[in-house]
Amino acid sequence: MEVLSNKQIKNRRRLLDWLPVLPFLIFCLAIMILPLFFMLRGSFTGSEGQFTLEHYAKMKASIYASSFKNSILLSGITALLGVSIGTIVGYFICHLKSERAKELVTALCDVTSNFSGAPLAFAFIVVLGSNGVLTLALTKYLNVDLYPEFSIYSFSGLILSYTYFQLPLMVLLIIPAIAGLKKEWEEAAHGLGASTFQYWRLIGIPVLSPAITAGLLLLFANAFGAYATAYTLTEFRYPLVTLQLGFLLTGEVFRDPGAGDAMGILTLLLMGISILFYQLAVKQGRKWQQ
Amino acid sequence: MATMKKKGPLPGLFIGGFLFYMLLPIVATYAFSIATRWDRTILPEGLTLDWYKVAFMDRWFLIVFKNSLVLSFSTVIASILIIVPTAYWVHLRVPRARPILDLISTLPFAIPGVVLSLGLIRLYAQPPLMLARTPAMLVAAYVIFTMPFMYRPVVNSLKAVNIKVLTEAAQSLGSSWLRTLRQVILPNIMPGIISGGLLVFATIFGEFTIATFLVGARYKTFPMQLVYYTRRDGRIASAYSVISFTIAWVSSLIILWVAAWGAKRTSGSGHSIKDKDLQINIAGDQK
Repeated sequence: MEVLSNKQIKNRRRLLDWLPVLPFLIFCLAIMILPLFFMLRGSFTGSEGQFTLEHYAKMKASIYASSFKNSILLSGITALLGVSIGTIVGYFICHLKSERAKELVTALCDVTSNFSGAPLAFAFIVVLGSNGVLTLALTKYLNVDLYPEFSIYSFSGLILSYTYFQLPLMVLLIIPAIAGLKKEWEEAAHGLGASTFQYWRLIGIPVLSPAITAGLLLLFANAFGAYATAYTLTEFRYPLVTLQLGFLLTGEVFRDPGAGDAMGILTLLLMGISILFYQLAVKQGRKWQQ
Repeated sequence: MATMKKKGPLPGLFIGGFLFYMLLPIVATYAFSIATRWDRTILPEGLTLDWYKVAFMDRWFLIVFKNSLVLSFSTVIASILIIVPTAYWVHLRVPRARPILDLISTLPFAIPGVVLSLGLIRLYAQPPLMLARTPAMLVAAYVIFTMPFMYRPVVNSLKAVNIKVLTEAAQSLGSSWLRTLRQVILPNIMPGIISGGLLVFATIFGEFTIATFLVGARYKTFPMQLVYYTRRDGRIASAYSVISFTIAWVSSLIILWVAAWGAKRTSGSGHSIKDKDLQINIAGDQK
């Protein structure tokens, strides 16, 4: 029988403690890590198995480049819209007199931030399609014809429908930050002779800035990865990264696996960086919300 | 008072506009689904339940509804089985693994459904491993995809109750590890599991992207059928959308309610079950 010292027994127990964690780790490895790792490998592998950068070079081709351009534009614009309008709406919600109204609007944000994908796209067709409720009302009462300049199936339609799920998300994100802006600070600032503008420039905006930065990053990633809304509205007609990936994926025969891998990796990179900095910004912001 | 300022019409304008923008699509879709005809006039020409009748009579309705229910329930159960015991054990015995788990459970936020599908198909769709296009693989992908929704509320619940003391007390009375988990820990972290489970359920019931790529027409789901009808028949699509919306908002309201209940149960502990970040991140994984 081998004799174990106390220290060895302790080490052994420590290792044994990890055993129950293994099934979970293996599951994540098999379903998440390995597929992404092989995607990374595939993105650098040529048809003969050699190392190559040709798949990334392909991304300069018009269809891939314009997909990235459109996706970044769509995500950027809707993130900016969501953050700016969401911050103002969140501010006004925080200053509602009635607690009940505050709770109701917050609950509405909670619920609507879950409405997305196909049903949301369809709801926008009902409202702003060529025979949509609002389209008809605008023609009849204001004599404004939305079509053909506007179309729910085009870039402007995508902006409107994406903003729908971006906005409540921002409101939910900014409300705790605004609640952290203490009334006493404003009173103290005014007491010391600061103007409203000075108060916002020197106190309000700096305190809110981590939440605003976090909002921009989260909303950007949120829109960049979206698929179902855009697919329902435009099918594959409008070049976006996720739609382009989906197009490569459809059909039993893979159209261009290497390009798909490269596009997937670039998407992960963009999303990963956004989410990473989002979390750093959230941590920054916590300091003020204590 | 010096700080009381005149408010003007701005707050009303912004909140009013916001409510209009958020509510109009929902209200219009509900109204559209019970309108006889609503593409020529401002208000519906008449009311009817025919579109629901047509939707329900279609043989696909029951199939896709059942498929989506099966997928959602399987994912919730698989997710609880994989995540809850691991999270408990790590919090009890392997604190050094905690940051690793936290990191792993955050990763899915950065992985869009279409990229996850691409990875799985590239790795598991070739012979001899023809696993990628099966409902079982879809459930596995869903467990990964929704992992933050289950992991975060469960971990917050674990932090809110002192599991170490509870476990030691149970064990000093002779309870085994599994029995302790089942009879002592589980009831204490129930609010977290219920919140997480509902979130996972609602997300998967509306999930379109991964399902289309992994199983496609072989295992049609409710959102796939909805997308199909948006191109074929707007009336039936409206009935489907209303059902989808209803499931989403009922789940959200129950989650809010459970969170309030959980907060009451553990008040004073300094941790709330409903995590602000989570609430923010749940946004949309059905997009």
